[in-house]
Amino acid sequence: MKLKTEFGDREELLTYLRATFTAAAARSSDVAELRGGRKAAEAVLQQIQPQRYAATRNHLRGTVSRLSAYLRHGVLTLAEVRRFALQRGGKQAEKFVTELAWREYWQRVYAKIGRDIWKDRESGKTGWRPADYTDGLPEDIAQAATGLRCMDSFATELRQTGYLHNHARMWLAAYVVHWRRIRWQAGARWFLTHLLDGDPASNNLSWQWVASTFSVKPYYFNRDNLEQFTDGVYCRTCQHYRNGCPFDGSYDELQARLFPRANQAYE
Amino acid sequence: MMNCRRGCFRALTKRMNDVLVWIHGDDLNPQSRVLQAHPQAPRVFVFDDAVSEHYQLSLKRIAFLYECLLEIPRIEIRRGDVFAELVAAAQEHQCNRIVTTESVAPRFARLCAKLRREGRLAVETIPTEPFIELSAQENARLDLKRFSRFWNPLKARALSLNQSFDW
Ligand SMILES: Cc1cc2nc3c(=O)[nH]c(=O)nc-3n(C[C@H](O)[C@H](O)[C@H](O)COP(=O)(O)OP(=O)(O)OC[C@H]3O[C@@H](n4cnc5c(N)ncnc54)[C@H](O)[C@@H]3O)c2cc1C
Repeated sequence: MKLKTEFGDREELLTYLRATFTAAAARSSDVAELRGGRKAAEAVLQQIQPQRYAATRNHLRGTVSRLSAYLRHGVLTLAEVRRFALQRGGKQAEKFVTELAWREYWQRVYAKIGRDIWKDRESGKTGWRPADYTDGLPEDIAQAATGLRCMDSFATELRQTGYLHNHARMWLAAYVVHWRRIRWQAGARWFLTHLLDGDPASNNLSWQWVASTFSVKPYYFNRDNLEQFTDGVYCRTCQHYRNGCPFDGSYDELQARLFPRANQAYE
Repeated sequence: MMNCRRGCFRALTKRMNDVLVWIHGDDLNPQSRVLQAHPQAPRVFVFDDAVSEHYQLSLKRIAFLYECLLEIPRIEIRRGDVFAELVAAAQEHQCNRIVTTESVAPRFARLCAKLRREGRLAVETIPTEPFIELSAQENARLDLKRFSRFWNPLKARALSLNQSFDW
């Protein structure tokens, strides 16, 4: 079936898409602010500041590029972004180019393992057995109704914008897998529904990295860490801040709580 | 009479060798190598209903792809079963050869095989410009067990501009 290719403006396009892709619109009819297309991609590329990247990238308001959706769909190639970053940042672009290399790496792993991207690459290092994890994403997480201001905000942002900062992805994934003990595949599927850069390689393998099925230890965090890199914007208004925040504690305490059966110290 | 026949036949064979460019979600660059190699060829993208269903894609992902597609001149956008739509497009445009960008997705490899086998179409895949140019030997030696093992031998080259400019 052939689809329309002439539209007066974005509103007309979106109206057409809502009527044409009814199942997708029923899942979530939000549309992202980020525009598709090479012109938009080049405008975003012009804004990158690879020199400031290393020092600020972990912060939610840090100077990250937001190029991921364009790279994922080949609107820009990794090769041209690498070249552009080196021209602009020289030696200081090292960290940024290293992150581009992560995408290249995951792609190569995907080329090698194919559909096994959905299976554990290695056994986990959490002390839990695969059967200890639940299948399927709980509704309160998907509906942004856990009561945890940080996680609910990330879930909302994911659905509305199709983008999350890397650190937010890590925290959210760790919460799903380690605090709620959900199989990583359920979280990975949820992300692929929404992320404009959603890609089985980068996505699933990052989830596995968090879960410890493709790394030497699980990734987890504590409240100090989240507060620091968010300037406390979520904690300040969270009802759980003084009342049962599940992320409060030292790394040792959290390890004992989350992974009591692990036979190694992670730190 | 003979001449005409031969002429018509020639025109037909020429047309039947024509290329159909298959645009897919891993390369929506309007300046892609594939489009540069075949600037006159018809180009088709197919929204894969099975994939949308499998990944439960939300509308914003489809809208993003659509906006990318609308910047590709003369793009024909279809939806349905990718194999069936590509075969139909090839027939409509009288093409017997599909040219497309390489992809690591296992589904892509299966589709190419099916197009050759059941669709009776020649399929040529073109790689995008590599992140770092590597020889076949270097490629074979890459260790993918962990990122650091992959990256350490390549790092110096990837961080230098000069080499990349001359390839
Ligand atoms: C649980 C989880 C799921 C993820 N899912 C995806 C996904 O589906 N698709 C995706 O492209 N990335 C994914 N990432 C990686 C990373 O979070 C995003 O690429 C990055 O946040 C995109 O934002 P940016 O373009 O501003 O990145 P920047 O920090 O500006 O980086 C520049 C580019 O480098 C690449 N990159 C950066 N970090 C990574 C990384 N850790 N792994 C792979 N590539 C990277 C991206 O292409 C990115 O656009 C995931 C990470 C986690 C922890």
